[in-house]
Parts: sequence; structure tokens; C-alpha cells
Amino acid sequence: MITLLKNAKVIDPANHKDGVVQDIYIRDGRIIAKPADSEKIGQVHDLNGKIVMAGAIDMHSHIGGGKVNIARMLLPEYQAMRRLEEPEAHICGANCSHHATPNTTDTGMRYIEMGYTAAFEPAVLAVNARQAHMEMGDTPMIDKGGYAMLGNDDYFLRLLSQNADQKTINDYVAWTLHATQTIGIKVVNPGGISAFKFNERRQDLDQQHSHYHITPRRILQALSRAVNEIGIAKPLHVHCNNLGVAGNFQTTLDTMGASDGLPMHLTHIQFHSYGTEGDKKFSSAAANIAEAINSNKHITADVGQILFGQTVTASGDNMMQHLNAKVANPKKSVIMDIECDAGCGVVPFKYRDQNYVNALQWAIGLEVFLSVDDPWRVFLTTDHPNGAPFTSYPHLIRLLMDKTFRNDAFDKLNLDAQAMSNLKSLDREYSLYEIATMTRSAPAKLIGLQDRGHLGVGAAADITVYTEQADKEAMFAKPDLVFKDGELVVKEGKVVKVVWGATHTAKPTFDLGVEKDIKQYFDRYHTMQMNNFKISNDQIAEDGRNHVINHVQG
Amino acid sequence: MTIQQDSMHACPACGLLCDDISADAIARQQFSCGKAAKFYARVTTGVSPQVAGQPASLAEAVRAAAAALKQAAAPLVAGSSTDVHGARALVRLAQHTGAAMTHINASSTLRNMKVLQHRGWQTTTLTEVRNRADVILMIGTDVVSHNTRFFERVVWVDEAMFTEPAARQIIYLGGDQLNTQPGVSPDGRAPEVIACASEHLPEVVAILRALVMDKPVTATTVAGVAVSTLKTLAATLKAAKYATLVWVSKDLHYDHAELTIENITETVVALNQKSRAMGLSMGGSDGDTSVNYAHTWLNGVIIDAPAWESHDAVVWVNSYSPQAMPPAGTQPVIVLGAPDSIFESAPAVFIPVATPGLDCNGQQFRVDGSVTLPLTAAKPTDLPTLTQVVALIEAQLQGDLA
Repeated sequence: MITLLKNAKVIDPANHKDGVVQDIYIRDGRIIAKPADSEKIGQVHDLNGKIVMAGAIDMHSHIGGGKVNIARMLLPEYQAMRRLEEPEAHICGANCSHHATPNTTDTGMRYIEMGYTAAFEPAVLAVNARQAHMEMGDTPMIDKGGYAMLGNDDYFLRLLSQNADQKTINDYVAWTLHATQTIGIKVVNPGGISAFKFNERRQDLDQQHSHYHITPRRILQALSRAVNEIGIAKPLHVHCNNLGVAGNFQTTLDTMGASDGLPMHLTHIQFHSYGTEGDKKFSSAAANIAEAINSNKHITADVGQILFGQTVTASGDNMMQHLNAKVANPKKSVIMDIECDAGCGVVPFKYRDQNYVNALQWAIGLEVFLSVDDPWRVFLTTDHPNGAPFTSYPHLIRLLMDKTFRNDAFDKLNLDAQAMSNLKSLDREYSLYEIATMTRSAPAKLIGLQDRGHLGVGAAADITVYTEQADKEAMFAKPDLVFKDGELVVKEGKVVKVVWGATHTAKPTFDLGVEKDIKQYFDRYHTMQMNNFKISNDQIAEDGRNHVINHVQG
Repeated sequence: MTIQQDSMHACPACGLLCDDISADAIARQQFSCGKAAKFYARVTTGVSPQVAGQPASLAEAVRAAAAALKQAAAPLVAGSSTDVHGARALVRLAQHTGAAMTHINASSTLRNMKVLQHRGWQTTTLTEVRNRADVILMIGTDVVSHNTRFFERVVWVDEAMFTEPAARQIIYLGGDQLNTQPGVSPDGRAPEVIACASEHLPEVVAILRALVMDKPVTATTVAGVAVSTLKTLAATLKAAKYATLVWVSKDLHYDHAELTIENITETVVALNQKSRAMGLSMGGSDGDTSVNYAHTWLNGVIIDAPAWESHDAVVWVNSYSPQAMPPAGTQPVIVLGAPDSIFESAPAVFIPVATPGLDCNGQQFRVDGSVTLPLTAAKPTDLPTLTQVVALIEAQLQGDLA
């Protein structure tokens, strides 16, 4: 059956279309060229010039895995069991951890209702990948995928400290992608999670790891080279050292040079853009960071914008979260060392607009957004749930598109923070084309989803239809229609059909000989068999709802 | 990549999930663990469904189960002794029928959850302990009563990356009738045992925490334990490279034991100000971690304790505990469980289902929470899975509605 979207005002940066009114034809879940007149059109939606974009893609959102599930548990004072016979009896309030860390069903529903059709879990602990996939498998409506964490696992650190050749490292990285069914590689506080287990409390970029005697810079070199050489699309996803520390912008700038010009993505860069100026020794270094992104073409970044309210932060960076636990609100936290593989830290935060640091964090994120020139290299994230829940994206989009709205919000901030930000001098307002770039075309290109994030012939028919409105928050909060793989799944902001999406992976070829040494490591030191570490396609598909889409890349 | 077929099975008889069980060991019934031996010796064939104690077809039993659920105003899903897949099915059944859901280990699970949810904690996992722990403090437990092979698989191992396993210091603090023999090192070094009855652990652990925090303690003994002994223990923990404080919530079975657990975990928090230490919660059985976790990601909240008196029907799942039955009084009981269930009185409906790891495949969380292992059918049978039976009951309920 062919579905026709008539008179669509298409905003599709991947195909250089900015408001072109055209018809879109869909068959078998794909966008097709205009069919012959003899072919029957089954369903017609006359859009009368409504805005049409590809489904949005969240390239960094903590939606599944051990630390997210701990985060779901962590605010019982705000929770009440939802009465399923009265589905609306429990409405999540701003302080409810369901709001910050929704259950898997709500995660899928809230995403699709906003016109998002894919989300990527950016911190899959390799040893915990099975759980991450179970949770993503229980997340309806959207496509999923993950980035596997390396760079603090003892197997990799042993390889590096023993001067293993790059080929061995490449094979291990590729093996990890296969074993964990992921599409990218992430490093969190390179070397730092491991160093914390040896009682270190900070790990600087050029400081030797106290046990392995290698530097985070060396870890970044080896991993960025491996990711590049095995030929996956997604650049190394880097959560820099010194997250949240005043003065950390220098680490961030130095990190940009650590890959010797190879592509790297610096994630939630807002948390890594802090200076030490002013009475409070905490200032914005957004200008320095944005300037460096503008001039370093091999660098991409997502922002990790904070928005005010209660959330629960969940990070692999147990070293820095152990420090952050001092400012937890409510005062509690979960810190874990995990399986000689990684760690995690889960800390509730309440970001307040009258708090100097929080207010400045808010401004710093927006300064970065508005000061990076190229929307293909800066991505719209809140590091869900760490800066704010993903459900606040429409609000964030309005802040970017509406200077008056933004400045009104700025005027309500802590006054000392206002004095330390140049936000009001930034006149830029994002266009719909730029928003479509940073939420559709650019993430698809970055991750290597060739048939997503655009509306060209052959693309998967993940499509969002909006009514253009002056209030961009209202516009992006409630699309008129959302199609997932060609099926109409949302109408007037309500889900009308439940679908399950797929799991995207990248599985580059590699020398399976590397497994001999990995198996020996498991047998000598681990508490599970190597074969049980690996996840099969069948296990992803388990209940027949999900399936793996592997992307041949490079 | 070729995924090699693993000939080893992971054993779900306890929360340790030892995944080195060979088909050969199962065939010969040779195990170093009594729980595994008992699990793999189970006979699950030749049992048909029953309605009111009489043999019935699967279709008849499904109809009877659906009818009982339809009549109930407030059903309860309980026992819930299953794996992740079973947990998903039970959560769905509870949603469809408006039932509450609990687990056979809810009371011990909730002791831990109260601490996690209201205070947080700092914990580690088995491979970290295996490779790093130089001091292991067992509080109120021998662990081996729950996880037989703990010392074999985690403590007295041949090799570790960052410590000398045979030199580890094992200390038992309190507990009742502990088996401390497994704490003897391979070269015959006896563990230190600081004896006190479980019921005195609240005050003993509180003093230990105070000493670790350098608070003044004026008493010279607490519950018969010399404070000087606890001072030495505090110093040992502070000097350790990676002290591991182990507890089993089931063994802390007195009122408000969560406060003892909190004192354990807050001792860890205090130690981590200057040195490294971590907590380790052991024990676990009947898929308790899997069910609580899956319930959390599917519903957004943890499992709850049962309030038996307020329910008028029970769906009872006992796949890993065939002898377990709900307390008498709440009727009717629909057992979707172990084929080798032992009934004192026949339940209203009994549908034998496949046990993950024995009759069918599955997935189970290990007790330390970060690792999930695939369960493989050690002795495959054609029994329906819990997921399949729940789907049949749901279809029947929907059909009845239509």
C-alpha cells in the first residue's frame, strides 16, 4: 500500500531542502519516488503546507541499563505506584523521578509523541550490555542503539600498558562492538574510573594512571585511532576528564588535541566548559570552547544543557560522581565499581535558577549552542536525565529559537550569575532548518544511519509533521502526525498504534584471533565465561518484537 | 562473528549464577554445591495441569485460571520465582488484571531497598572483589549458606590482578551458627571470628561505624564484644587497599534490620573518604534481583511487600522453589509454576511451566546486580514457558471480554 503525504513543506537539511512544498510517497516503510499514475494510493494525508521533517534522533540519552534503573529507584519520596486501572491517577510532577527517569514504556511514548523516532544510550557498560538491551527492548515506538564504554576496563588498560600493537587494540574494539551489539564506542573519564579503584580522586589528561602508568591522552589516541581504522561512522564518544570541575575547560581544550586530528565527539560539553574567574571561582568558558570547536573541524559536541528542576544524574564516571555526591539533593547517592570493566554513580540533583552555579550552567550551555557556528557539529541534548529530562527538548528548542523568550528567562536568574554571562549579547536565533540539522540530519550522519534523519527516496519513513507556530515550544511538543517506518503512530500528540522499533548496530570485520587472548583473560580473572559476555542477535530479538539492523560502514 | 555455542550452563539455584556447569557434570550429577545438585536433579516431566486437584488439559486449566482472575476484585501476583522473561510476563498479567505484584523474597529485598532508596550506598561486584579485595569483612553471615561456592569462585582463586588471593584477610563479625570453615585460606590460615548473636549486630555495627568515623566511644564492650577488638577492625579496614563489607539481607532477619545495613553501607561511605572500600550484598535466590529490576524498568517502581489479607486471588509462581506455597487463607490459588510443586492442599488451578535454566532458556540477574547471564535449558522439555501460559490466560481474558 502506498501512503501519500500531500503538500508537505519539507525541511530536510541532508537534501538541502528548506521549506520546499512537495508530495512524499511511502511504501513498505520507505520513502519512494512518485509512483506511476496507474499505482493505487491507499492513504492520503493532505498536509496543506504543514512542516515536515524526518523523525528526530537523540544521539545521547540514558534510556537503559543498570545506572538508569538505579536512578528510577532513587526518589521514592516523589513516587506512587501508578494504578493501572486508573492510568491517569498518578500524574508525574516536576519532582517525580518518573519525570526524570521514566519507565521503559513511558520513555518510548514520550519520545514518539515529540516526533523523536530513535534514541541512543551513550554509556553501555560492556558487562552490563545485556541489561541495557533488555530495557531498550522493552522501550516501544522508537529505534534504539548504544555506545559501549571502553578505556577503563582492565583488559584494555593491560593491553595499552603492555604496548600492544594498534591492530590488537582495533580487533578488541571491534570485538566489543560485536559482543555488546552496539554502534559506537565511548570513553568516560579516560583512565579515571579505573584510577578511582586505586584510590585516586582526580585523573588529569596528562597525568599517569597510578597503576598502569599510561595517560588518558594515550587512551584517547589508541581508542580514536581504533574507531577510525575499523571504519565505523560514529567517532569516539568522549566524556572528558574532570567533569564538573571549575577550570576544566583547559582539559577540554587539550582533549581536542589528543586524537591527532582524528574525529572525536565531546559529549555534554556544557559540563566541561567551566573557568575559575570571579569571586566564586566558577565562570563560563563557553566562548573558549565554542571558538575551539569552530576551528577544530574534527571535533563534534553535544551540549548537555541543564534546565531547572529535580532530576537524577546517572553517569559511568564514579570518580567524579563520588565528589558530586556532596551536593546531592536529596542527599543520597549510589556509587559502584563494576566488574573490572567500569563503574557508575547515580546522584539526584535539583538545579535551581537562584543558585549561582546552576544558573551559570544554564547560561553556559546556551552560550555554547549560540556560539558554535556549524549546526552539523553541535547536537541538541540535555544528557538526559543528567541536565534535564528529554521531555524538556521543546522548551530548549524555544530557548534557541526565540531570543526574547531566552532573555526573559535569563532575567530571572541569580543576579551574580547574570553578571558572569554574555548570553544577552548573543543575538542568534536558530532557524527551523538549523534545528532540523542538529536533531535529524547531523545525528544520522554522525552515527552512520544512512537511511535515517532525512526524507530522500530510499530513506526509512520516520517522519514528523508539525503545524508551524510562533511558540516553538508548543510546536515541537506536539506534532500533528508521526510516522514510524511508514506507519502512522501518533496523531495530534497521542499514540494511535504501538510499534517496537529496532536496535541499530555496527559490526566491522576483525581478526577473530583476538578472542583467544580475551578468553584467557576471562578464564584467569573474571567471574563469568567469555561466551556469556557476548550477546547474540537472537537474544536481542528475544520476544520477537525487536530486531537488529546492522549498518555496514566505512 | 561466529557466536560459539557454550556447552556450559549458568546455574540459577542461587544468586551467584555459577556459569561453569558442564553438561557432563549434570549427566553425572557431580557438583561441588548441594543447591546445584538439588536443582539439576529435579524431575519435571510427566505432570499435567490440574483444576481443583484433578488432571485437566492446558486449555481447561487456562480457562479456569482466567475465570478465577475475572472473579477476583483484588488479585495478587506472588512468589514470582522466575527469570527476566517470566518477570515481564507477570508484570503484564498484573497490569491486565489490576493485580499487585510481589516476590517470595520481598521482605529481604526490601531491607536492602530501603537503604538504597533513602540513603544510597557504595557497592561493588564479584569480579572487582575477586581481583582487588584484600580484606573481606562478613557481617552477620557466612555467605556460603546462600551462595555455596562464594569462596571457591571469588575469594580463594588461583590468580587476581591486583592482590594476592591466598593472603586475603577474612573476618567474620557476628551471626548465628556460621560455617566459617570456607574462610580458612588455602594454606590453612584461620579467619578471624568476632562473635556476637545476630540480634546484637545493630549496636556492634553502629560502634564499628563510629570508630571508622573517629567518633569518641566511651564503652569498653558492646554486646560482649571488646571495643578494642572493633578498634583494631576499624584500623584494618582503613589500612586495606580494597576492603569489602559483605552482608546478606536474609540473614539480618530482625526488626528494622535496614538500619544495620545502613550502618554497614555508611561505614563504607566513611572509609571511602580516604581509602577504598565497598559493600557487597550477597545471597539472592528465585530470580529476586531480576524480578525487582524488571518490575522497576517496566513500572518505574520497585516490587512491594505482599498484603495477603487484602487479596482475593493469588497467582503463585514457584519455579525455583517447588516446595514453596503462599500462606493458607488467601484463595483461590493459581499456581503457574514448578512441575514438581509440592502441595499440602490442591490449588484451584495448577499449570506446570518450564523452569528457565532447566527446561528452557532464559536470562537471569546475578546477585551483584550488574551482570545478567543467559540461562540455557539443561534438560529441555516441551513444557510451556511462563510467558506462553500468561499469554494464553490473557487471550482467554480478552476473549471473555469480547
